[in-house]
Amino acid sequence: MNGGMQSAADPILSVRGLFKHFGGIKAANGVELAVGRHEIAGLIGPNGCGKSTLFSLVSGMVMPDKGEIRFDGRAVAGMSAHRIARLGLARTFQIPALFDNMTVTDNLLAAAAEGHWQGAYERAAETLSLLKLDHVADNRASDLSGGQQKLLEFGRAVMRQASLILLDEVTAGVHPNIRKIILEAIARLREQGVSFLVIEHDMEMVRNVCDRIIVMDSGRVVTSGSFEDIVRNSEVMQTYLGRPQ
Amino acid sequence: MALLPTNPQWRGLVLLAIIIVVLGVLPWTVNNYWLRIATGALMWAGLACSWNMLGGYAGYINFGQSAFFGLGAYVTAFLMGDPFGLPFSATIPAGMVVTALFAVIIGAPTLRLRGAYFAIATWAFAEVLIQFASAMDFTGGIGGIGLPPYLNERFFYFAMFGTAALAYFLTWALFERSRFGLKVKALRDHEPAAEAMGINTALVKLQTFVLSAVTASVFGAIFAYWVTFINPKSVFGGDITDQMVVMVLLGGLGTLWGPAIGGVGLFVVNRLIWMYWGDTAFYIAILGTAIVLVVLFLPNGIAGLFARRKNDALDKVMDKLVGTGAGGHP
Ligand SMILES: Nc1ncnc2c1ncn2[C@@H]1O[C@H](COP(=O)(O)OP(=O)(O)O)[C@@H](O)[C@H]1O
Ligand SMILES: [Mg+2]
Repeated sequence: MNGGMQSAADPILSVRGLFKHFGGIKAANGVELAVGRHEIAGLIGPNGCGKSTLFSLVSGMVMPDKGEIRFDGRAVAGMSAHRIARLGLARTFQIPALFDNMTVTDNLLAAAAEGHWQGAYERAAETLSLLKLDHVADNRASDLSGGQQKLLEFGRAVMRQASLILLDEVTAGVHPNIRKIILEAIARLREQGVSFLVIEHDMEMVRNVCDRIIVMDSGRVVTSGSFEDIVRNSEVMQTYLGRPQ
Repeated sequence: MALLPTNPQWRGLVLLAIIIVVLGVLPWTVNNYWLRIATGALMWAGLACSWNMLGGYAGYINFGQSAFFGLGAYVTAFLMGDPFGLPFSATIPAGMVVTALFAVIIGAPTLRLRGAYFAIATWAFAEVLIQFASAMDFTGGIGGIGLPPYLNERFFYFAMFGTAALAYFLTWALFERSRFGLKVKALRDHEPAAEAMGINTALVKLQTFVLSAVTASVFGAIFAYWVTFINPKSVFGGDITDQMVVMVLLGGLGTLWGPAIGGVGLFVVNRLIWMYWGDTAFYIAILGTAIVLVVLFLPNGIAGLFARRKNDALDKVMDKLVGTGAGGHP
């Protein structure tokens, strides 16, 4: 994989010595990682190891205790979430965090309201058809099925026209058809130059989609490498698979 | 409904045109007694609309909206009196500026916190203003302050009508039809997610609050000139806010027309009770019962009965007020 080389040279995201403790829980305990430009990096690790917290730290929703976060060449640790988002970082939430009372279309438009508003209506229409949500465009977000909510959560991130998208278990528990829609969309966006950091439990998907895999445990990055490297490393597999999910 | 077009959009426009025509000719068809009731109904519809901007669309409960109504009233009374003697129209912008300043001072620190803090801060602000206006000489103390009488009922009717129409038009244009409204509703439904979409939630809330407060201040200014005499309780009183809240809840929180339905409906009921039973506490009982019934059986208000889509704005408000739920602050 050449992702490693690129990320070493000029990563879109780099995290150094990142700490965040919740009381006694060390959710981030010295995280170090980098995501290269045009890379799709997978983030795996046992439940509760701090993956979602890392997303919250990087996106500015949770303030770090200590550490450096650089996004697209800028130090963003301590910056407010909306400012980081405007720099071109989009994220999804593990539990869909939709605008419940708004229609599906308005959810997408709201995602574009700050930033790339030009052509937002056309892009919302494109996103609706890309994600096969046309038929529910005028429904309230809270009336969608679980899978559709995941799609909409993903669709909002797409609407941001971000350079880096953080996906938090966006295909977990969704129907294979919906998963396929999401995977195709990710592939298409990557061709347009978007980078991804993807939290994923499904190893099959990790294998098919990710250029490189980053393994976390207990608030730190344990190792990273290609799918084959990771699988060969039995210790890592134990860390990841040896614990109850 | 055979007389109305079947296309909902055209039907809405035709209904709106009928309402405007009826309201436009009303002053020449009723006596002064009923004209005053109509003037009051328009004022309350407008005040409810102002409260709904923040409460309904952004989900933040303001328990001190009377403060801004009163500020508009007092600034107008003060500037029209000696030694300034300004014309009425010149006092309105002054009241709007003063109101906007106070809204920023109150809102900037408290709108960042959970909704309950904002609710308490606004309530306390209105209480402070009552005490302040009661204690100061330049406000006339408890006795209040008089304005130069202008006995032209039609003028006040059209002033309230025009201001209410403008308030509803602004609500429609800003909250229902623009990018700004998308941001406001997004932060009402899920604040952390709105931030993640690049929305500066603190700023958007503050802008909405200022708009809401300034709108109320204009009604306060017209009211003061209309009734020619105000005192702290008559323009800062907590019951003024209570009525706005109930009107919005009854009509439909976070809807365009709900506040108009609730405002006109409750005010007319208020006047009828007053006509038949005099100045009784009966109205308070009706108000209280209305709140309970709405919360229990009509969480979407009367407007919700006609809506195509469900609307859980009340859920979101409660979430912001007391919850730690997803709609709350990160
Ligand atoms: N806001 C919070 N307050 C307290 N503890 C938290 C908070 N967010 C996460 N945690 C804790 O931090 C740890 C890491 O959680 P999380 O990042 O969600 O893990 P993952 O996404 O890898 O499953 C867990 O023990 C979780 O309970
Ligand atoms: Mg998680």
